[in-house]
Amino acid sequence: MISGIHTINILLPLFYFLTLVVYFYDFLKGEKKLVNVKRVFLFITLFLHLIYIVLRTIAFDHPPITNVFEIFTILAITISFSYFLVELVSDIRGTGPFIIILPLIFQLISSLFIQDLTVVKEVLRSNLLGIHVISALLGYSGFTISAVYGFLYLVLYKDIKLNKFGLIFNRLPNLEVLERLSLYSAVIGFIALTIAIIIGIIWLPIAFPSFSYLDPKLVGSTLVWLLYAGGITSKVMGKWRGKKLVILSISGFIVAIISTILSNFLAQSFHSFY
Amino acid sequence: MNLIAISINHRTAPVDLREAVYLKEDEIRPFINFAKENQIKEGLILSTCNRTEIFGIPNSNETNHEKFQSLLLNFKPSQNITEQHFQNYVSRDAIKHLFFVATGIDSLLIGDNQVFKQVKDSFQIAEETEFAGYIMHRIFDAAIRTGKRAISETSISEGAVTVSYAAVQLTEKIFSNLSKKSALVIGTGETGEIAAKHLSERGIGNLTVTNRTQEKAENLAQKLNAKVIPFTEFRESIHKFDIIISATASPEILVNKNDVKAALKKRSNNPMILMDIAIPRDIDPETKKIDYVFYHDLDSLNIIVEQNLTKRKSEIPKVEKIIEEELENFWEWYNSLQAAPAIKDLRDFFEDIRNKEVEKNKNKFATEDQEKLDIVTKRIINKILHHPTIELRKADDSTGSGDSATKIGIIRDLFGINSRKKSEKD
Repeated sequence: MISGIHTINILLPLFYFLTLVVYFYDFLKGEKKLVNVKRVFLFITLFLHLIYIVLRTIAFDHPPITNVFEIFTILAITISFSYFLVELVSDIRGTGPFIIILPLIFQLISSLFIQDLTVVKEVLRSNLLGIHVISALLGYSGFTISAVYGFLYLVLYKDIKLNKFGLIFNRLPNLEVLERLSLYSAVIGFIALTIAIIIGIIWLPIAFPSFSYLDPKLVGSTLVWLLYAGGITSKVMGKWRGKKLVILSISGFIVAIISTILSNFLAQSFHSFY
Repeated sequence: MNLIAISINHRTAPVDLREAVYLKEDEIRPFINFAKENQIKEGLILSTCNRTEIFGIPNSNETNHEKFQSLLLNFKPSQNITEQHFQNYVSRDAIKHLFFVATGIDSLLIGDNQVFKQVKDSFQIAEETEFAGYIMHRIFDAAIRTGKRAISETSISEGAVTVSYAAVQLTEKIFSNLSKKSALVIGTGETGEIAAKHLSERGIGNLTVTNRTQEKAENLAQKLNAKVIPFTEFRESIHKFDIIISATASPEILVNKNDVKAALKKRSNNPMILMDIAIPRDIDPETKKIDYVFYHDLDSLNIIVEQNLTKRKSEIPKVEKIIEEELENFWEWYNSLQAAPAIKDLRDFFEDIRNKEVEKNKNKFATEDQEKLDIVTKRIINKILHHPTIELRKADDSTGSGDSATKIGIIRDLFGINSRKKSEKD
């Protein structure tokens, strides 16, 4: 089983890369016959990824959520799966290459550095932690997709304003759809992060009695949560829309990334498990 | 095949000459009767602003394209039109030309699918006036199939190739659902009217028009079920509209930057699209600098038009391939209408049935009678097929004008000989 896991670990970035190539080729050429081919590629990659996660969970006796490289592989599958659902539900296909590049990056880093971890800290063997991590990852996947759609909104917005009617103009869905996709992803991400924070608040004093409220990860997550809460409220109240809203979404994503990097690699935080 | 076609079109004649021979819908039916009286037994008349085409199968082999030209010029006299203003096609080339027209690759605006609709309408008229015989029917079917394939299998008709349509398509790159949007068209001249029609066709939720001459605005509004606002008051109302298309002949700017800024404020920064398709411009180009305002003028819309035309041109080889395939299919069918192979197929068909029935039932007869059974059934088949065989050979020898082809075609269809042979092949 271990050798199978190692093989899939090498294959996964290759599969994501192939899927990205097919999506990108379709984006450039826009050929009708590729429409279903690329979806099949994504499905096969997702299926392989799912097998990999199940095998790891069985072989190492814990779901791969206990360090940053395990989390990256989960992040890769949640982003691709979310996009797969978006594509199925909305039938919007021109945005694939911009999303799928992210799981490729996350999986590549994970595949390079992930280890066969059989011994995990006792504190990490908690059901609450499992729900906390999964909802946090769903939250960040939502923010990532929201940021990508936000970014695409800005590019298309600029292209239309500057009379640039190239590939971006021809292949992307319209501005309202991009704004809506960015908003919906952000709302789903926000709900998931809220759940993660609530569980974190319950679990944290039990697991780490000496934690500090000034922990960089806590401060960062709170900041991200506040940013999205502000943006979503403004949208609901009809104050903010379009460009302002997507800039806020992109800012939230950048803060989330910085917070993750700081807490996992640079600062001393209870979140630094690796 | 004795199919003849003549075409006077945008490549062969200037607009005034094309106009001179243009046949309005109420002129086409009398012209068909005129053609029938002049020895054209079946055919098709297509007349649009860019082309007038006559396709026909004459009664006699002596009839040529000059006869077709003189028919048209007798019906619509025009002294300035000479033979050089016509393109002439015969047989396979005539069918190929019809396929070129139906797919839109022969149009002034390449891929114009309006012409496909016009070809279908012409077929309809030919059928209603009993001008469409057996062969023409098959040609129509093939042309319609070719046109449909070109639209569904290639991008020949994709993208806007007129400025007013490009304006509407651009709005669809900004708004997702036009049925929830409201639009104002300023100026109801030809360009404004076309733009308003496009918006209406794309399902705009709320359409309002305004014009310096109120009556013109009211006429257009009535046609499109739109509202009208007085020209002197539209400036105060622009905040109510998501899309504003302006196409007036005004020498001055009608909507300035401050008007738009104020409107946007009233709209809480809800995006506005301003399409200025007038020369000189009606809307201050400085408005493009305002956030949430998408200002586009003729220059920018022309970029879209040019790009789409280039893309359509690049699709022509794919359409030509479809045309060749369909032409080949049609020709294969047409060749099957020769007398000799048709007679053989017909005889084989009957012999096959006879043979199977004899094999199935011969045990019911005494051994000494079985040979007689074979002889008697063969004699019956020969007697049944004797007269049709003679008639087919006679028709084939005598005129060659398509009579035999029609007869053979009907016989093949009646007995399902084409499909039978095809299924055997499969």
